[in-house]
Amino acid sequence: MSSTEQGTSSAAPAEPTTAPESAAAPEVPESFYYVHGKDKVVHKVSAGALQHSALIHGMISNLGYTEEQAKANPFPFENIDGDILQMVVDWCNQHKGKPTPPEDTNLPKQKEKLFDLVLAVNYLEIKELLTYCCKQVAMMVKGKSPEEIREIWMIPTDAEDEAAEKEAKKRAGKEAAGETAAAAGDAK
Amino acid sequence: MYRSRRARSIENLIKTIEKLSIDPVYDTNWSDMSDDIKLKCIGKLEFKERLSLRCTAKEERSLVDSQKIKFNRGRFWGDEEDLGFQLYCDNKKMFSKCLEDINDGFELMKYIKKIGVFENLVISFENSLTNHEQFMTDDGLFTAKTVEFEHGDVDNVIAVLRKLKNTVESIEIDSEITTSDEFAKLLAISNIRNVPYWHIQDYEQTDSLHKVAQMWIHTKAKVGSTFQVSVNKNSSFHEFWEHFIDRIVSKTDKRVRIRTNDPDHHILLERGFDEVVEIGEYLTQYFRLMVITAEMNESEYNDDCKEWILKLDPEIYDEYDSDNSFDNLDDFYHEE
Repeated sequence: MSSTEQGTSSAAPAEPTTAPESAAAPEVPESFYYVHGKDKVVHKVSAGALQHSALIHGMISNLGYTEEQAKANPFPFENIDGDILQMVVDWCNQHKGKPTPPEDTNLPKQKEKLFDLVLAVNYLEIKELLTYCCKQVAMMVKGKSPEEIREIWMIPTDAEDEAAEKEAKKRAGKEAAGETAAAAGDAK
Repeated sequence: MYRSRRARSIENLIKTIEKLSIDPVYDTNWSDMSDDIKLKCIGKLEFKERLSLRCTAKEERSLVDSQKIKFNRGRFWGDEEDLGFQLYCDNKKMFSKCLEDINDGFELMKYIKKIGVFENLVISFENSLTNHEQFMTDDGLFTAKTVEFEHGDVDNVIAVLRKLKNTVESIEIDSEITTSDEFAKLLAISNIRNVPYWHIQDYEQTDSLHKVAQMWIHTKAKVGSTFQVSVNKNSSFHEFWEHFIDRIVSKTDKRVRIRTNDPDHHILLERGFDEVVEIGEYLTQYFRLMVITAEMNESEYNDDCKEWILKLDPEIYDEYDSDNSFDNLDDFYHEE
């Protein structure tokens, strides 16, 4: 089920999932939502933690799901790897309702994982985490020469870029020619 | 034996395959990032790393060049042989370079000019910038809140002022401005005509005060516009009130106040002297010229001129203090 379908599936007001623990000090029970990534592993996340993500917060703000409805309709993020989504969920839980510290040392140091995390965080619009991630990306090349940066970030040279562009054009031309030939064959 | 080794190999292979299927395969890299994200990351890079990144590929260069960087101070200096740069962030030196190849130097200057947003910019060229085509033909503008000129001639000052965004708030000139013609050239520059504060240290003529006031009357300068000058000749004050004899509102030996064409604005000239800075034929004289509101009362004048004199000559009171220390030493010996 897509998130759009979920968004239009219910507009019912949120119902409490558990009874208040104390009658003297009634607390509004926390509502939970469910998300999964490419690996289909479902993560239960509180609405408070999800507030970090502008994208999800916008999706759930007027949803009013009951616990059961939320459980039955997890938000699918098929473009995010399971372990990356796990990292994002962990970060949101850790920083739920807290001011975000100026540094976050728990971010992955491996470049590919970090770049995947950057893409996920950018997609989910988690501003503070994106700032940390970008700082971490910048730290990867601190004090490095152009050649070292090219190696670490796998930046193609201008010549490689041009060759790839040429190749893509050639392929597109061939495909277009093939399509024209096929269309002419059909017409006959 | 052979069978068990083979079985172990198969077990290992299965384990490896299982491990591969559990650990996702990542192939995301810098090139997979959108320009928006790349720019956010570039924003976190220090200047040196930005310089390196812009050398990796054309595409990266154009991204790096589109991202501004704040410096709280920058010093550009040069002579016949070298061109140098010192850049500071949060009062810490973050980049320093001296280039013997002048062309490389101007190329680097072009980049710094493009991306740098300076709180304070110091220009200190002993040689003429106007001889360098690379500098003169570059259309880029410096972005700076305050600019200081050390050394150099008026042509250098003018060449840089022409390459300065008009958001500049303060221009301090400690270069060799010797003749009235040179001063007239400066007055024709739009940044000089519009800047809220500017000063010249050690101007060698006595015509600056009335010329600036005349320019302000003509341009209808805003209240608060200020010009300060230190002069080694005697008649600047006299020349000013003589020039505006028909406009004088009030005159003492310390101040002259004149009308402008705007009934709401006056111009106030103050002469800086106190128990330390004295007036004498062979002594440096300090002046401050300001556009004030016509309603300003004389009781609102500030008699403490130390603060504004220090802007023109930061060491003058130090000299006095050291003189005093000798006095104290005398006292000490007398007491003994």
